[in-house]
Amino acid sequence: MAVEKLGLTRMSRRSNLDIVWTVFKARILIISRYRGSLFLETLIPLVFAALPILIGLSVAGGDAAASANFNRQVGTPDYRLYMLLGAVTFVVVSIMLWIVGFWIRREMEMGTLEAMYLAPAKRLYLVSGIATYAFLRSLIAFAIALGVGSLVFGVNPFQGEIALATAFLFVGLIPLWGLAFLFGAFILKVKEANSVVNSAQWVVSFFMGVFFPIAFFPPFLQWVALSFPPTWMNNGVRAALQDLAFFFGTWYFDLAVLFVFAAVVPFLGYSFFLRTEHHMKKNEGVGQY
Amino acid sequence: MAHRGFGLARVGLLQRLSTFLTMSKKTIMEFSRYPVAFVATFAQVFLIILMFLFAAFAFTTPGSELAQGRQIAGVMVYGLIIQLFLSFTLWEVGFSVREEQIRGTLESLYMSPASRFGSLISRIFAILLWTSVMAVFAVLLVSLLVNGLPTANFLLAMVVLLFTIFGLMGLGLLMAAITIRLKESAQFLVSFLQFFFIIFAAMFFPFGVLPDVMVDYVSRYLPVAYSVDAFRSLLLGLPAGFPELLPLTQEILIIVLFGILAPPVSYLLYKEVERRARIQGTLGEY
Repeated sequence: MAVEKLGLTRMSRRSNLDIVWTVFKARILIISRYRGSLFLETLIPLVFAALPILIGLSVAGGDAAASANFNRQVGTPDYRLYMLLGAVTFVVVSIMLWIVGFWIRREMEMGTLEAMYLAPAKRLYLVSGIATYAFLRSLIAFAIALGVGSLVFGVNPFQGEIALATAFLFVGLIPLWGLAFLFGAFILKVKEANSVVNSAQWVVSFFMGVFFPIAFFPPFLQWVALSFPPTWMNNGVRAALQDLAFFFGTWYFDLAVLFVFAAVVPFLGYSFFLRTEHHMKKNEGVGQY
Repeated sequence: MAHRGFGLARVGLLQRLSTFLTMSKKTIMEFSRYPVAFVATFAQVFLIILMFLFAAFAFTTPGSELAQGRQIAGVMVYGLIIQLFLSFTLWEVGFSVREEQIRGTLESLYMSPASRFGSLISRIFAILLWTSVMAVFAVLLVSLLVNGLPTANFLLAMVVLLFTIFGLMGLGLLMAAITIRLKESAQFLVSFLQFFFIIFAAMFFPFGVLPDVMVDYVSRYLPVAYSVDAFRSLLLGLPAGFPELLPLTQEILIIVLFGILAPPVSYLLYKEVERRARIQGTLGEY
């Protein structure tokens, strides 16, 4: 017997996977038409890293002084690599949030969101397709930006514990799916994606300590930052590569916290997304623009 | 006699003014429907300031003088003000054409006898107001954080800002023309330009920390760079080494010419691009 409301449609595991694959393929096809975005994803972390470096040079009054002061305040003299790692990790987080948020808004603007909701495909698989696409795109952006950034800033990212840094990056990506769902729900509710995404980028980069260690924050803000999974990912990657301190002193405790986030946040995010969606469907409808 | 192609409509000054006012009202009403956007943009400015101040703190020498901190904060926040105007002009004037294309209203808007120039610059009204409020709050916040910012030569700095805004309007119109040609890809260009100006117009740091080759071969050819340099040098009280690119009078001359010439030249270009798009039938293409 077919599932209620789906008529004669049979949603097997294969057809569900097919939905994920089709959405993923569609996004790849669309982005292949806009190659400028790939260029921009390489450029953004470079500018993001260049800004604090240039500010630092102007504050300290030269490279040697900047290096010495940074070492005293942060614990590593290699401030260029520190900023570059922060910037490329930020781009990964940003792409994950940006793609899901804008996808919902775009469907609303084009008037296809409600039609999509009428299709027998489950939203989980639709959003999974989008999230998988965001995952791949963010990893590509990370690799390219790190490569180009290393050349531009003259730093060597292949130092320290590379395997450990990779583990922090991959485990850290899982809770981002949950955050992307949360963010998607928020966009669904408030509708205005552009300014929210722009501001969210700065909120994210502020709390994950892209340009500075979160130890600079007052205690309350430190707790806020620590409850945010990308902060652990960012610190883990930096600590592994630049021999900086882990939050709990040892890498396995930090990685364990990230695993807990990976287990909990996606479920929380998706439940929140479903609740928001359900609430909207009962009231104004999801297609209202 | 009515203009050819406009039927009985009279495209006089009054009609242009009326279009401008109506479109401005529509823009302000649109803005007011998204209160979260207001708050979010506002919060964004404060976060940018805080983040750069924290970043600057990571490079400070323990026991460094407060006066030096004030000057650095001034360099950042006064550059941020120009950046805010630039960013809003590029997105709201330049990229607004794309929004109309997405909504499918661009062609119908252009088929109406209303002034297109009026419709393009109407967005500026609301944006100017909003950006100015944000700029004031940004200055107040930083002033609070560093115990007072220098605000010397205020009136002359405002004149520089005014001509800069006119010039930026020209950039916005130019961006609108490019958007008609590039369509969706224009958003990447707008983002790119924002980053380009942040670095090459040294919006958050002095030009002195940029490599000479970048200043000599890029920054010196950007009128916006002179705007940033003159605006912050004036407000900082022209300390030693400021302005960095040219003597102040020459910088002001460039800014005035930028403000006077950029809008009409860009508008002519916009009209030409628009005419071609209409002939090719691609104006509302999505």
